[in-house]
Amino acid sequence: MSDSTVTRDPTPAPRTNGDGRSPQTSTIDWTAAARTPEFRELVRRRRRFVVPATIFFLAWFIGFIVLAGYAPDFMGEEFLTDGLTVGYVLALSQFLMTWGLAWLYLRKADSEFDPLAQRAAREALRAGQAHAIDGYAPRNGGKVMSR
Amino acid sequence: MTYLAADLNELALSIFGVVVAITLLVTYWASKRVSTTTDFWAAGRGVTGAQNGFAIAGDYMSAASFLGIAGLIFLFGFDGFLYSVGFLVAFLTVLFLLAERMRNSGKFTIADVLSFRMNQRPARAAAALGTLSVVAFYLIAQMVGAGVLIEALVGISFELSVILTGTFMLIYVVAGGMLATTWVQIIKAVMLMTATTALTIMVLAKTGWNPIDLFRDARAEHPEGQAYLEPGLFLSSPIDTVSLGLALVLGTAGLPHILMRFFTVPDAKAARSSVMWAVGLIGAFYLMTTALGFGARAILGTGAEEAVGKGGNLAAPLLAEELGGGAGTLGGDLFLAIIAAVAFATILAVVAGLVISASGAVAHDVWSNIVRHDRESEHEEIWVARIAAIGVGALAIGIAMIGGAGLNVSFMVGLAFAVAASANFPALLLALTWRRFNTAGAITGVLFGVISSVALVIISPTVWAGPDSQGGALDWYDLANPGIISIPLGFFGCWLGTMLSREERSERMFDELFVRSETGLGAEAGTGVTLTGRTNGARRATSGARAATNGARAEDEAPATREPSLR
Repeated sequence: MSDSTVTRDPTPAPRTNGDGRSPQTSTIDWTAAARTPEFRELVRRRRRFVVPATIFFLAWFIGFIVLAGYAPDFMGEEFLTDGLTVGYVLALSQFLMTWGLAWLYLRKADSEFDPLAQRAAREALRAGQAHAIDGYAPRNGGKVMSR
Repeated sequence: MTYLAADLNELALSIFGVVVAITLLVTYWASKRVSTTTDFWAAGRGVTGAQNGFAIAGDYMSAASFLGIAGLIFLFGFDGFLYSVGFLVAFLTVLFLLAERMRNSGKFTIADVLSFRMNQRPARAAAALGTLSVVAFYLIAQMVGAGVLIEALVGISFELSVILTGTFMLIYVVAGGMLATTWVQIIKAVMLMTATTALTIMVLAKTGWNPIDLFRDARAEHPEGQAYLEPGLFLSSPIDTVSLGLALVLGTAGLPHILMRFFTVPDAKAARSSVMWAVGLIGAFYLMTTALGFGARAILGTGAEEAVGKGGNLAAPLLAEELGGGAGTLGGDLFLAIIAAVAFATILAVVAGLVISASGAVAHDVWSNIVRHDRESEHEEIWVARIAAIGVGALAIGIAMIGGAGLNVSFMVGLAFAVAASANFPALLLALTWRRFNTAGAITGVLFGVISSVALVIISPTVWAGPDSQGGALDWYDLANPGIISIPLGFFGCWLGTMLSREERSERMFDELFVRSETGLGAEAGTGVTLTGRTNGARRATSGARAATNGARAEDEAPATREPSLR
């Protein structure tokens, strides 16, 4: 990256302030990091879960409220037994869907996305830090620990 | 003016006293652990996933959820339960699209993420506008609600109730920062879940452990009969129902006080697991609103419609009183007092969360990054945060007292969700996912979202002609919930502003934000481990180690989400 001045700034701004990034992060070539196979794999895998899951839950929920709005008679129909309505059963299905999808995402994130994110982060550091390595002493000896 | 009504409920008052004493002790403990901005706004980033899950639940489930939804179900049946569903499903939006990314790329406020690759001053100003609008509507609604409820439940006057609520809220935030606020929210969540579970078990015991019988009994007690179990009694306009649902499911992902909670955990993994905890707790709670609402109908019957008040807010307390043995009995009084104390704790936790997020917007975004443009000291930022919290709190107390108990706040929570869904959510999502998105887009998007939500609510029947009237300001417009128009307008505003300008730097920096948000590379750590270059790195490191009792655990959990020191 071309931000050569920031390293000499005596009072660097908070890192999230894009106007004056800190010395450490400015040494990472983010564009190169975004192009590493590890990072692309991470993004691809996460998207493959999140995009369909988001479309599904939004469709299921919006379908539910559209039915509640436009088909109250259908929602009021008896389901299996007197007193239980189709609407309430569909509402319960929203609870199950939320718990189920959240749990599924957590499982996938722990087993699949996190290890990939660690690899991608390591690659990004390796790719861009050639001129800034002085004094770099990884706490864990450079190994990426598994969770 | 007499502050104490004749029917002062001493029992409720003493339980209040116990709750307040505990929270003040926690605040005293927390106040000694607040020395940096990371301590103040993010509790030193030492909150665990489970703790944060309880705190999110405590931050999210307002008195409107607890008393309001039980009341709506009592009065209108199925339609009340629609809110429960929407409030819960909304957390999938948070989990899939924002939680981890916020944690990975932000520091204290949503403006940190929104303005990351943008022109700082205008982008932060836009984000602060979105935050403060949501907080203003939400906070005033909560304060007025607090006054009305405490007056009814405890017997102290509306004004005194508002002042007490506001004072405790400010003590928590100003003295104890996010650490105290977090614990207040955790205590509240535990109290609320315990009370709701106990009531649910008692309701089910009364109806022979068969939930279906609960519906049958409730139906038999409602004048509308079967229609009570169908949609349409409360939300009579279909398009309004859909509009409300959209605002609920997308709005939560734009609530600043909820998103801010993700900055208090050590890493993205903890952010994610905190959503799972929150979803479990919040889901269980909203499921139990069935028992509270339908149970109140089945057990209290039609005769209680007068007693529960206009919005049905007293349905749950009256149900507790009845389950305890009825009015006048020791058990009944005790149950009523406990529920009143739970409601009080509920309100305190929510308003404290709102005020601390407002203080972040004022002190961190407006003061430090816009007015002082990063030349302030950390010490100054904390004091500005405290003064901002007092200012925001005093303003809310003032408006609530001037508006009085009669102020119609029923539309305000809906408006808060509409603004969050139309202004904050689109801008945040696009900042994180759309390379071309830029400063102009963020500004027009937030402005479109805020202005369209507020304007559409102002011309809606809810405001224009009183809550009972049918017509709005315009003959052809009768939506009470603006979401279905304002959310697309918010997204359109983001697109329009982006297309009208070209910002090379914002596009160039997208890769950085993208890699950071996905991998956690360079994310703010909070456990005393070396951070990226901040002037106060060393100072924060010590405070982080001290504040985070669970720091060691966090360290084991997240090696790669922390950037190694390159110094």
